[in-house]
Amino acid sequence: MAKVFIYPATSLILSDLVARFGHKPLGAALGIRERIQTAGVDSPPLQITPEEPKRGLKYAAVEVPSGVRGRMAIYGPLIEEAEAAVIVTDADLAFGCMGCARTDELILFSLRQKGMPILELKYPTTEEEGVQFVAAIKKFLAGLPNGGEA
Amino acid sequence: MMAEYTPDYVGTVTKYVFVESPSMTPGELALRAYEASEGVLIKETCFGLQVTGEPESVDRLIEEIRAFDPTHIFIKDRGFPPGDPRRCRANLGGARPGYLGHEREFRILRYITHGLEELDRRGEEAEVPETAPVSEKKPVFDIKRLQEIIETEEP
Amino acid sequence: MSRKVRIAQLTCGSEYSGVQKEIYEAAEAVGAEMFFPDIALADVERAVKTFGLDVKSADLKLMIARGMALVEGKVEADGVFIGTCFRCAEAAIVRNELRRYIPENSKLPVVSYSFTERTTSGTLLTRMEALTTIARRRALLAREEQTGITMGVDSGSSTTKAVVMKDNQIVGTGWHPTTEVIKSAESAIADALAMAGLTREDIQAIGTTGYGRFLIGKHLGADLIQEELTVNSKGAVYLAGHQRGSATVIDIGGMDNKAISVIDGIPGTFTMGGICAGASGRFLEMTAKRLGVDITELGPLAMKGMGKNVSMNSYCIVFGTQSLVNALAAGSSREDVAAAACHSVAEQVFEQQLQEVDIKEPVIMVGGTSLIEGLVYAMGQLLQTEIVVPPYSQYIGAVGSALLASGFVQGE
Repeated sequence: MAKVFIYPATSLILSDLVARFGHKPLGAALGIRERIQTAGVDSPPLQITPEEPKRGLKYAAVEVPSGVRGRMAIYGPLIEEAEAAVIVTDADLAFGCMGCARTDELILFSLRQKGMPILELKYPTTEEEGVQFVAAIKKFLAGLPNGGEA
Repeated sequence: MMAEYTPDYVGTVTKYVFVESPSMTPGELALRAYEASEGVLIKETCFGLQVTGEPESVDRLIEEIRAFDPTHIFIKDRGFPPGDPRRCRANLGGARPGYLGHEREFRILRYITHGLEELDRRGEEAEVPETAPVSEKKPVFDIKRLQEIIETEEP
Repeated sequence: MSRKVRIAQLTCGSEYSGVQKEIYEAAEAVGAEMFFPDIALADVERAVKTFGLDVKSADLKLMIARGMALVEGKVEADGVFIGTCFRCAEAAIVRNELRRYIPENSKLPVVSYSFTERTTSGTLLTRMEALTTIARRRALLAREEQTGITMGVDSGSSTTKAVVMKDNQIVGTGWHPTTEVIKSAESAIADALAMAGLTREDIQAIGTTGYGRFLIGKHLGADLIQEELTVNSKGAVYLAGHQRGSATVIDIGGMDNKAISVIDGIPGTFTMGGICAGASGRFLEMTAKRLGVDITELGPLAMKGMGKNVSMNSYCIVFGTQSLVNALAAGSSREDVAAAACHSVAEQVFEQQLQEVDIKEPVIMVGGTSLIEGLVYAMGQLLQTEIVVPPYSQYIGAVGSALLASGFVQGE
């Protein structure tokens, strides 16, 4: 089982397909869950405290807006952990954790910098593209070093 | 003011279960899931379920739920436990942003369903070319899809 | 307490900057609640097309769609808070356009802010208070005439002002540097009463404003305790005789600056700033001290000089003072240095704050700094307009408070 970063990190489809084909999807929910389940200073709604943008300095310089750094504090460790990534390149309507275009650019850059296996594709717009979309992901995941059931 | 935060549901995982099926409603899905729950917390929603529990128990239940209708049930991790007031629509005044993202992907779930079904049918033949071609053709309306729509139409 | 004021939140990044809690707290402190206008994905897609601002960040698209839902009346609100991350250019454009679009197309009061992870509820409090006041006290703010005998006290960061009004006339004023908040207020009040020839017993209603408003208000048993944004707007248009229509109020204070776009005496959009002391009245005080003149002489001195002759960087009070010293050492005249200091403060307010509100004439300058004619001149040059400085402009908060307090006079 490989740890596969999904982009958009909030994607239901990618989260499902990666898990369905026997791997561990790394997405925003994992980072949020970790915060929601950790005791500390109350900071609703996401338990992201003002400390997080400071932690994000590891991934983005101080002149980068706080929202980018706060988001990178969530994604940075997940990207570090990732062994592969599946990227949908036309995910223009992913909100919240994925709602900042500058963060998204930095996430993509960081993923590509890692030199790990990456599959980039677009959302299907027809049934045949749906077949190709699923087949491409299945094939990519089956080819990962850590196997998977597919 | 630095208020203390004490988390609930520590050590659990929560997953969304979406059902987009002509033959199974979220209500039916919930009924069948309850039967298989074995202590996993199940919350019915308008789109399917949320299941919460120990990671292993949730994984087991998820496997069973998937088997109900493999190509029409989709599963995703959630950061919050179910019914959390911080994400609740009633408290926020509006849907949390993530909901709109789900709406976006909901529109294309049928293509994924079709892809999964076709892949099962075609087997190894369904291998994609190295570069996935972009279809320029208008989609032909599928008679099977029409049948499904007719069957799911409420009386 | 009356029902909570509902403030629609249009933001990008607040949850991830860790400041959402601060926004909630500030709203709660003034009896308001934040909410997120409910819309569907199709609304977002339509909004992006209709609004025509094709940004890339989805949360900014969401902001636009929520803003449109408010304007179209699909979602009801009492006020709007627009916030985005400091230093994000894409978000600044959206923030700016929404701040323009909403008041132009609705009656909703709007406040906007760019936050960092250091933003606290305290910083947001006055802004939220002003939003709720506008929503909750429209009737009170509609007052255009002072009646009975009332007193207003403005407890500012540098000075404390008191004004006594009777039958729509200012009959007494008092002014003291703020040292101990209550003592300074008592001194200012005593002076104002003495000038009016009245006693505390004659006063029928009291209003307080400024940083010390809560403390003073409690001490005096005030009828109205109100933040300075709404009070100063009211006072400015009242004193300038321009209570109807649009106006812009600029108040360069000792600690922060306010730029308020006013419609019929009620703030529409406003900004409060002053991260850097270089753009404040305090810098001019330091300049006066360094030049060896009283602050009241700085203005006339500046009018005799040419600001262009001295380059001054006052984005920080420390560096600003340094350029001042350097200029003097290099042989610049005191007049030129005084003019440069005025220009530098005006320029900074112009660049950092006046870009955030729509400047509509007349532009009214108020507060103690409006008496520094060099500063008023520099601002007029930058805005290319004749700046209005009404009589008693230094007492603006106190006058506004006394005016509004007359709504509490018995029999009113």
